[in-house]
Amino acid sequence: MPAIIETGDLRKVFRTVKRVPGPLGALRTLFSASYEDRVAVAGITMALEPGELVGYIGPNGAGKSTTIKMLTGILVPTSGTVRVAGLVPSERRQENARNIGVVFGQRSQLYWDLPLIESFELLRAIYGIPRDRYRRNLDEFVTILEMDEFLRTPVRQLSLGQRMRGDFAAALLHDPAIVYLDEPTIGLDVVAKDAITEFIARINSERGTTIILTTHDLAEVERLCRRIVLIDHGKLIYDGGVERIKSEYGRFRTLVVHFSEPVADPRLDGAELAGADGSSARFRFDRNRQRIDQLVRQASERYRVEDVNIEEPDLESIIRRIYVEGYEEAAR
Amino acid sequence: MFEPYLEFAKKAFAREATYRLEVFTEIGSLVLRVYILRSLWTALYAQNAAPINLPLHGMITYATVAMLMSLILEVDGTRMIREKIREGTIATDLMKPISLPLYFFSDGVGQTVLHAVLVVPSLLCALLLVHIDVPNAATFGAFLVAFLLGYGVNFFVNFLMNSIAFWTLESFAVQLIVRWASDLLSGQIIPLTFFPGIFGRVVFALPFAAIYSTPLLIYVGIIPPSQWVASFAVQALWLLLFASLSALVWRAAEQKVVIQGG
Repeated sequence: MPAIIETGDLRKVFRTVKRVPGPLGALRTLFSASYEDRVAVAGITMALEPGELVGYIGPNGAGKSTTIKMLTGILVPTSGTVRVAGLVPSERRQENARNIGVVFGQRSQLYWDLPLIESFELLRAIYGIPRDRYRRNLDEFVTILEMDEFLRTPVRQLSLGQRMRGDFAAALLHDPAIVYLDEPTIGLDVVAKDAITEFIARINSERGTTIILTTHDLAEVERLCRRIVLIDHGKLIYDGGVERIKSEYGRFRTLVVHFSEPVADPRLDGAELAGADGSSARFRFDRNRQRIDQLVRQASERYRVEDVNIEEPDLESIIRRIYVEGYEEAAR
Repeated sequence: MFEPYLEFAKKAFAREATYRLEVFTEIGSLVLRVYILRSLWTALYAQNAAPINLPLHGMITYATVAMLMSLILEVDGTRMIREKIREGTIATDLMKPISLPLYFFSDGVGQTVLHAVLVVPSLLCALLLVHIDVPNAATFGAFLVAFLLGYGVNFFVNFLMNSIAFWTLESFAVQLIVRWASDLLSGQIIPLTFFPGIFGRVVFALPFAAIYSTPLLIYVGIIPPSQWVASFAVQALWLLLFASLSALVWRAAEQKVVIQGG
């Protein structure tokens, strides 16, 4: 199947005025500004097939939002190519807008002063959605997202969870083939988060909508996405299955040992101490090199052990290590 | 194709109408100002400050109609450009399949229509305090034409002012200066015919005159029917100039947003 989203060596460099410090600095920048280039996206090549749900992750400032902005067409790439549903977004902003839906967790696209339902009505007019299709979609979203009770409430009076549900419906009313979700569950409580996560999965599977999800909540990525694209410093550092990254970088397990009496300096051969607080200690080991039963035996021979358990690495701990140690380091 | 823009106008109307208290205070303050202006002009005319061709009742008519016009003309639909840039919501608007300048314009029109509705009760209240001259139908028609052209000029002047925010968020001082200048030089407060000599000629040559002065001078009869068309032409010229300038500025602004990320 041909790709629905395609980028080729996509780059974005921002040029900012370099400020000179000091009392006369402001004056000097006013007259002889020198510029500073900041590379936000440093050559990203990727392709998404229709219907994929991809987790687009990376630490703060990695270039995720900049990439999304280029995909929506509101930011022109410095170099490289972008194609979204066959269009170059920045050249055909309005046409591209019809193919996409966007949800920003940090910023609502609903009309602040108006009741929620009126924002939906306005979007119907903006996208020229036929009335029967609008009715059908609205009814469906109101039911799934349980929006009945606050449909007539002005948006400014909604809770964050309610507002997010409204934003999701708003982004999907016109049946976009592609949806960009930029930290859509930020700040939500567990229940609201679950509802949204389930809704995302449902839209993807029932409507075949292609979704790019950027988030810091890796548990969410693990639940939703089969594929992740990991970027850092504007560069793509991993693109592939969630399972593969876990098996490649998840060779390390953690053995947690609880002692029945305080131990000053716990040690185990073949494992590395990853943290201790006197009554318990955490040992990290490579499961390809070290057998668990040997470690456990060793521990019980040396110390008075009350309990042990083994932590499997989740995506979160793997990604954290990649952020901290770098991609190459973490792979070793 | 124009449906979204009609909706924007409707929504702006509904939004403005929700601030009921503001609506009533506005009428109240307008009536008060009309009364103060009547007293002021009456006192000034008693001191023989009267210009040649505008008797006191004409002056009071001028001031009152100017007040009513300001109800509509002080609506600044493009103020939201500044707000949207400051809050960063301009990005989400750009992700919609709409033309933003048309969006701002229709939102402004929606607000204007609400304020135009307010003109009627304001006028009725004002009539309790002042007497105003009513021109013949042709003159009133010419006034309306000139008013619409002035409305257009006013829109684009505001548009340009607010677009400064694309480059610097500290545009408030510039706005204030332009506002004061336009209050004085547009003929909203005093008729431009009061300006003496060369200064008088200069103010008539400025674009601000197209906003208040032209329709008002038509209304009170200082611009005679023989000069109507010429006056419209001058207004239309300003309108065209500012509209083209706005288009250029908008294109540059859009480029800046899409290249620098706002």
